[in-house]
Amino acid sequence: MTVNWAQILFNSVITGSIYLLGAVGLSVTYGLSGFPNFAHAEFITLGAFIGYFVAEQLGLGLPAALIVAFLVTGIVGFLCYRGVFQPLAKRGASIIHLMVASIALGFILRYSIGAAWSWHPLYFTTTWSAFDVGPLRVTGLWLWLIFVAVGLAFIMHLILTRTKIGKAIRATSSNPELALASGINIDRVIWITWFVGGGLAAIAGIFRGADTQIWPMTGWDIILPMFAVAILGGIGNFYGAIAAAFVIGLAENVGVVALIAVGLSTEYRMAIPFLILIITLIVKPQWLAMLFRRA
Amino acid sequence: MLLYGLDFLVFVGIFGIVALSLNLEFGFAGLANFGKVAFFLVGAYTYAVLSQIGVPFYLCLITAAVIAAAFGFVISLPALRLRADYLAISVLAFGEILRLLIKAEHGIAGGVWGITVSPAISLAGVSYRVDLLVNIGLVYFCLLICFIVAQLLANSPYGRVMRAIREDEVAAEALGKDRAKYKAQIFMIGSAMAGLAGGLYAQYLQFIDPYMFMPMITFTVWMMVILGGPANNWGALLGAGLVEFFDRGANLAKDYLVLPVDPSNLQYILFGALIILVLFYRPQGLLKESPIKTKALELVRYGRGVVNNKPGK
Amino acid sequence: MEEALLRIREVSKHFGGVYAVNEVNLDIREGGIWGLVGPNGSGKTTLFNTILGLYKPDHGAIYFNGKCISNLAPHDIYGEGVVNAFQLPRLFNRMNVLDNMLVAARGHQGDKCLHSLFWRKSWQKQEEGLIEEALDILRLVDLEKWAFSLAGELSGGQRKLLEVGRGLMAKPRLLLLDEPAAGINPVLGKSMFQKLKDFSCNGITFFIVEHRLEILFEFANWVYVMDRGRMVAQGEPHDVVDAPAFYEAYLGEG
Repeated sequence: MTVNWAQILFNSVITGSIYLLGAVGLSVTYGLSGFPNFAHAEFITLGAFIGYFVAEQLGLGLPAALIVAFLVTGIVGFLCYRGVFQPLAKRGASIIHLMVASIALGFILRYSIGAAWSWHPLYFTTTWSAFDVGPLRVTGLWLWLIFVAVGLAFIMHLILTRTKIGKAIRATSSNPELALASGINIDRVIWITWFVGGGLAAIAGIFRGADTQIWPMTGWDIILPMFAVAILGGIGNFYGAIAAAFVIGLAENVGVVALIAVGLSTEYRMAIPFLILIITLIVKPQWLAMLFRRA
Repeated sequence: MLLYGLDFLVFVGIFGIVALSLNLEFGFAGLANFGKVAFFLVGAYTYAVLSQIGVPFYLCLITAAVIAAAFGFVISLPALRLRADYLAISVLAFGEILRLLIKAEHGIAGGVWGITVSPAISLAGVSYRVDLLVNIGLVYFCLLICFIVAQLLANSPYGRVMRAIREDEVAAEALGKDRAKYKAQIFMIGSAMAGLAGGLYAQYLQFIDPYMFMPMITFTVWMMVILGGPANNWGALLGAGLVEFFDRGANLAKDYLVLPVDPSNLQYILFGALIILVLFYRPQGLLKESPIKTKALELVRYGRGVVNNKPGK
Repeated sequence: MEEALLRIREVSKHFGGVYAVNEVNLDIREGGIWGLVGPNGSGKTTLFNTILGLYKPDHGAIYFNGKCISNLAPHDIYGEGVVNAFQLPRLFNRMNVLDNMLVAARGHQGDKCLHSLFWRKSWQKQEEGLIEEALDILRLVDLEKWAFSLAGELSGGQRKLLEVGRGLMAKPRLLLLDEPAAGINPVLGKSMFQKLKDFSCNGITFFIVEHRLEILFEFANWVYVMDRGRMVAQGEPHDVVDAPAFYEAYLGEG
């Protein structure tokens, strides 16, 4: 069996780009609010459906779909935090209660989506012609995905380093007490990260949906790899999440080759991020977080 | 309708056992086991595989509990040293890997096509109704045992240590309680109960496949415990009854009501809303945490006058 | 020289390059009240947490009763007889005051899983005795009438008292108290020290961090002074008051 390694690397970048978009928001809200938001899966799903609605049902095309999905899901993300998690945390809910609440909220969103659209998988009808670049098989969708992921990561980087609000976000995630003492409005910082995190998840959802299928479990199907990315990269660590997204994307695609080589089912592909997740958790999460922070 | 009611009772019994086990782990000891379904699955498949090679049902059930406890122990070694959120995520991931494994390996138990299970007690030529009654007897016998175990553990110095670990594990550790050991024990007991319930589930349905063990099961059980009242074994049973009742009600509504929203969607939307409402307005659940009751404590409290009713002493 | 109960040798603990405890040596002999003073941030609480096994020392060793305890887990250090009362009380809030006390009890047979399930007789008698003891201690710290109230409902001062009471309940050989009199009114604080003094006659040695120097110096047999992670002075209270290092620690080098 000959393996097209260039293609595998390229596929890793594609997988990594989706994980990057999906996991950055998860990681940053996890770090700032102090609990893993399982409803993030539904932000991804909601984005996919809104994207489908705008691009297919309204026929406005992909760019419009990306923008509308980003805004709408971002607002939903903000409302989830403002309406449910923040008041719960103020009432002294424990981290376990917040996790349970996020799963409950996920149910509400997931089944509302199921009621509003349907449980039958939907597909984008726009066909993306495949063409060859050297040894690579490429589609327009994938190029869009890489362009959007890299572009958004770069914009986020500029916001984090150049703007006042970005500096406030970084200050808050590294030391909330100090940030509060220096007059940063922490609530506002957290609201913004929930908005942006939801928006980015929506974009991940559109690309994931366009690449595979759209149904109410679209997000849940990839939520555990997202957690793997967030934890591997260090919770709340933006640059760590970017690196980890590509590490896990690579591990998955190389893993598939390995699975075929040893004669195991490729269904185990989904087990690879789980295994990385579990190993990461066992082998000192702090150690990895520090590694990325120094870099 | 009677059959439907009996079937409902069997389900309440089986999930009552799982709710009791989660209540031990989460309600009393504060462990966020988001992978409950994994141990349920282990029990169900152990039962299925053993019953196919002709092992008697009681041995199948006991083995299901033991194997699930063994899995619980293996998982507990690394996982229980983790923070609550990491524990939740890693056990959830473990459940998914396990389901994936069963799904992909057709050699183990039929893979994605599932496996048929012989019933525990098959009496020749009896009606479905008698069969249900036999099942109710078996399930409620197991439930009774699990309930007694849970009550004995809760109302003992051991239960006191469990609660102390839930409240502040560092303080408990500094007061001489080996938290890793306690957590591992509780995880094993909880997993054994879940495994037992899994075995009962498999033999009752007489067929299992990997799609019956989605993470949804875990969250249904969480709902039971949160709703009924964590750290109260009666609450866990109440929660199991209520959630199952709600579930059945939604299924019936599908047939009899015309709603703008498909009831099977509406059911879970309401489930979610209910949990959030409970967390907001009654985080202690419907039934409050039951205080520890031991013989000696009762003596002090009631035998020699209630201490906290003497003002100004 | 008689063998010290607690011997600390060259113990250092640092957090990211900052030495919280720096090459500290210290001896505590059996009996009496031993004080540890120093300004805020001088490393007293870190030293306590290191003794308890909550932190592993980076260098040095800690011996208790001749045995090295610096690599033991906290619950094993409790087993050796070292117990602590935290500066900010870490009570079990959703348990009642009496249960908080009983958790600390040493060698309770019912703490074992199988005993609680199958052999309840083995500990029920013991529990009655422990409850008597717990109520006696609660009476000492003025909490007896709250025995069945939730610990989370106590006032700040009462929480502090319960934390100390829980330490006594554990029947330690050495009890570390981190600012036991903070947040308690001065009269009660003084009477608490008086009671501790009585306990110290019954075989409990106390090692106490306290900011209320006047109370501590009245009762302590020996006082250690820490400043910026180092042990800078020691002696009997009236000698320490005159030591230049003591003034330097509190007033700064200027």
